[in-house]
Amino acid sequence: MPNDQRALVLVVEDEALVRMHGCDLLESAGFEVLEAETADEAVALLEKHGDVHLLFSDIDMPGSMDGIQLAELVHERWPNIGLLLTSGHRRPQETDIPDEGKFISKPWREGDVLDKIRAILAGK
Amino acid sequence: MSASDDWFENAPCGLILMKRDGIILRANRTFIAWTGHELQSLVGKRLPDFLPIAGKIFYDTHFAPLMHLQEHFDEVALDFACAGGNRMPALVNAIEGRDEEGRPGFIRLAIFRTADRRLYERNLLDARDRAEETVRVEREVSELREQFIAVLGHDMRNPLASIASGMRLLGKEPVSERGRRVIELVEGSVIRAAGLIDNVLDFARGRLGGGLTLSRDAREPLEPVLRQVVDELRSIAPERIVLAEYELDDPIDCDRGRIGQLLSNLLGNALTHGAKDKPVRVLAGSEAGTLRISVANGGAPIPVATMARLFQPFFRGQVRSNRDGLGLGLHIASEIAKAHGGVLEVTSNRLETRFTFTMPLA
Repeated sequence: MPNDQRALVLVVEDEALVRMHGCDLLESAGFEVLEAETADEAVALLEKHGDVHLLFSDIDMPGSMDGIQLAELVHERWPNIGLLLTSGHRRPQETDIPDEGKFISKPWREGDVLDKIRAILAGK
Repeated sequence: MSASDDWFENAPCGLILMKRDGIILRANRTFIAWTGHELQSLVGKRLPDFLPIAGKIFYDTHFAPLMHLQEHFDEVALDFACAGGNRMPALVNAIEGRDEEGRPGFIRLAIFRTADRRLYERNLLDARDRAEETVRVEREVSELREQFIAVLGHDMRNPLASIASGMRLLGKEPVSERGRRVIELVEGSVIRAAGLIDNVLDFARGRLGGGLTLSRDAREPLEPVLRQVVDELRSIAPERIVLAEYELDDPIDCDRGRIGQLLSNLLGNALTHGAKDKPVRVLAGSEAGTLRISVANGGAPIPVATMARLFQPFFRGQVRSNRDGLGLGLHIASEIAKAHGGVLEVTSNRLETRFTFTMPLA
């Protein structure tokens, strides 16, 4: 990714306050942010915006897909998008996440979220 | 009536003489008085005609064949059907008699009424069944309760994460000094609630057979996790002094989240039970192939009787206050130590109470 371009991150989270917090955190750190409440909404956004660099998604969500299924679908259709998953309860092995994606547990330490996102984007 | 006739008729037990095929030849007065049957209605009939269904089956499948084989039968429990429709529980001894030429000819039965004894045995069996049923129901209820706790714990984490996020957002808004203090206190409460949920979930999971699962890895340092735990507990108890020293030079193959939880539980325990005016000391170090994390507090020593039970779940000591929590903290800490192949030990004297976790690094 060229340095002069601000990376676009899609935040998927069904809890409104947590989603606001995630978006606020990323915007403050200089990222462009899109937000979705469900996996289906996320896919619709990805179809509309071709330039998303990273998916930052909760695992436990209502709707047709959970975060891991969403990550699998995104990896299949948009293999260039980096993957970071998060959850308050499940601690998946990072090997469960496609494309060497990363996992961060909730509640977030803000510095860790940014570190992981930067590491994933650096590897792309 | 001759003496021997009298002895037969009025013996202190029922007496029956029957052929090998069960046809009754004689029955004494005692048996007639007990069962209410007329002598004429007994003689010429088969013994099983006077047994209820279960008894008839037992007679044909057990009594008769064994009688032919071993020529006697002792203490068989049989119910007799009485003339009035009642049953007479009895114990029966049987012995085969032979004719003059030594051929098996007839069977003598002695019948003892056992109403009281059989009732007693039946009550014992009923009581055992009821006890087993109670245990089964209690086990089911307790399993359900633990599943309920697990689900509740999971579901609690979402609103808790929302509160934490909301506080972070508010913290970035302009607020008064007082408002900032409120935000800090709410954040501290969220951390405490999250810790309680972790412990309850681990306990429920342990009970449900999942046990503690570890994701160990030595690639990242443990110290920042421990520092964060200490900072969090300092923020919960700002009036207390927590001194912490870290000497962690070796890579440590552990589940960092779990070790953080262990320290959080020990530190929470020290802050709750230690003397309020004495500092709490945390030491974390690795040397000679061993990781050692200890938490020490001042105050009255733990009584010897209490020491043995400290690591049991739901143990809360003598003094109870609303900050005691569920009494799961030390239990879970000890389970985390075990899962790492380590131990959690306690020493307590007038100077200090110290919990020490050690685990081998190799």
